[in-house]
Amino acid sequence: MLKQEINELLTQTGPATPMGELFRQYWIPALLAEELPENDCPQVRVKILSERCIAFRDSDGRYGLIDEFCAHRGVSLWFGRNEQSGLRCAYHGWKYDVTGQCIEVPSEPENSNFCAKVRLTSYPLVKVGAILWTYMGDPEKRPALPEFEFVHVPPEQTYTSKRWQESNWLQAFEGGIDSSHVSFLHSGGLRNDPLFKGAKGNEYNLADLKPFFEVAEADGGLFVAARRDAEDGSYYWRITPWVMPSFTLVPPRGDHPIHGHFWVPIDDHNCWVYTFDYHPVRALTAEEVQAMKDGHGVHSRNIPGTYRPQENKDNDYLMDREAQKRDEAFSGVRGIAMQDGSLQESMGPIVDRTRERLVSADVGIIKARHKLRKAAIALRDEGMTPPGVDPAHHRVRSAAIVLPKDDSFIELSREAVAASPGVRQTSV
Amino acid sequence: MRPILLNSCAEATTAAETRFRIDVPITDGRAARIVALDEGAAVVVRRVAEQHWSGARFFTGVDRTPQLNDNRESTDVVLRATDGSQSRLDEQLAGADLMVMIATADDGAKAASAIGDACTLRGIMTAGLILGERREVGGAVSALRPHARVLMVTKDEQDVSEVLTALRA
Repeated sequence: MLKQEINELLTQTGPATPMGELFRQYWIPALLAEELPENDCPQVRVKILSERCIAFRDSDGRYGLIDEFCAHRGVSLWFGRNEQSGLRCAYHGWKYDVTGQCIEVPSEPENSNFCAKVRLTSYPLVKVGAILWTYMGDPEKRPALPEFEFVHVPPEQTYTSKRWQESNWLQAFEGGIDSSHVSFLHSGGLRNDPLFKGAKGNEYNLADLKPFFEVAEADGGLFVAARRDAEDGSYYWRITPWVMPSFTLVPPRGDHPIHGHFWVPIDDHNCWVYTFDYHPVRALTAEEVQAMKDGHGVHSRNIPGTYRPQENKDNDYLMDREAQKRDEAFSGVRGIAMQDGSLQESMGPIVDRTRERLVSADVGIIKARHKLRKAAIALRDEGMTPPGVDPAHHRVRSAAIVLPKDDSFIELSREAVAASPGVRQTSV
Repeated sequence: MRPILLNSCAEATTAAETRFRIDVPITDGRAARIVALDEGAAVVVRRVAEQHWSGARFFTGVDRTPQLNDNRESTDVVLRATDGSQSRLDEQLAGADLMVMIATADDGAKAASAIGDACTLRGIMTAGLILGERREVGGAVSALRPHARVLMVTKDEQDVSEVLTALRA
């Protein structure tokens, strides 16, 4: 349960809101690199943290993320022309470079310096891995670029997709640190999904529906660990790292790739779910990549040409009651991604947390909310840099590990949860 | 049968439709018992107990009746409340649905064991909050692990209030 004012603080991410300012301390995904595939390609409308921007890649390969609307008459630059190192407004031909600087006002005299005085708000847009990242905060406090392992392994070892989720970012993100739903909602996936099935760990998951949880502080966020009974004298641990503000990794299964998410607010009622798979030491197989493209694992199958899932609220998520009866899909919705997305959207655009009834198994969520709130307030009141900004905090991994009952998961898995280039993931 | 009304399909998730959610209170607060397992934890529990809670009862220490010191029966465990009064564990567990154990050291291992066993027997949810640096409280973590369905290790004392508030204690 949260008080209404705290729920509002955590869920509102527009400019000048405490949580919005917190998000603006980080490099966050703005779009996939595939959305701007070549120089002078069509520009893309991007709404992020409740700000409407336009992203483009100019003739020289430079990326830009600038205010969507022309300074002249407020026309959307989406209708403009991306040509000769700038984006030209279709209405009267004003032209902007990737920094938002106006570089041409055709109606002004040849020797006028008027355009030098016109500059749209712009944010840096940088390609790291398959993602174009932006930083929307104070330029003087711009941190070093992200060092998450999934964007630094060779391209053939990683795959990233994204999907639109029609809910606030927080209820979507909270699903990423809530291990206890997996044995129910995703039980079909543990048995059938090509990117999940076959791992020894799945047997522990399905045999023990009442896991114990441990939550431990990490430099950049938290480790949330679920433990289940394994063989005599040992526990099966699944360790989920969270790096603030909204990056999580799913513990691996067997030799399957590691999955993870980054939740990015579009506005207060919508978010992007960036979803990735990577393997630290080998290329993804053609079958694995095809399975990801087909919406298996934690990816969604999207309507072609869009990032909207085929299973969406307009079609009742293609509910399949027969699959539900056959236990192929616990909720009747196909695919792990939209099993989560459908339930989280059903909560409403912003779930009313004053009415929820949490249980002690939700303590990871409770702690994460507290950390977010504390960091947002410390930033607002004292200017304190929040956890997760330092790229050193990004170098974490999820892990699945069997340990003797008396041993501490965090002590014995210290190496397992550190991202080490060229070292295989710890998985069962 | 295809849905024909807005509320009969998944699109009924708008803010406007939220107004039609039934607004009747679902349950009262939890009947929570919060027990400090050591002196350091007792200091924290005293502070937290001063806040407003719906039905939580706070205890700053655990004793055993002297003649049955090694007996693990919950009937022999005595809890000390913040006002110094004493009561038996089994009396306090009657009607309880949440037990939160607070520790700062591993002194309370035996008490945690007795409380954990008693809660398991009665189907009462258990949680353990361990205050301190993880490398300094490893003993407390090991002592509490078998007896708490959820364990949180934290440096932030405010987490005690946060967890209790979130659980409607």
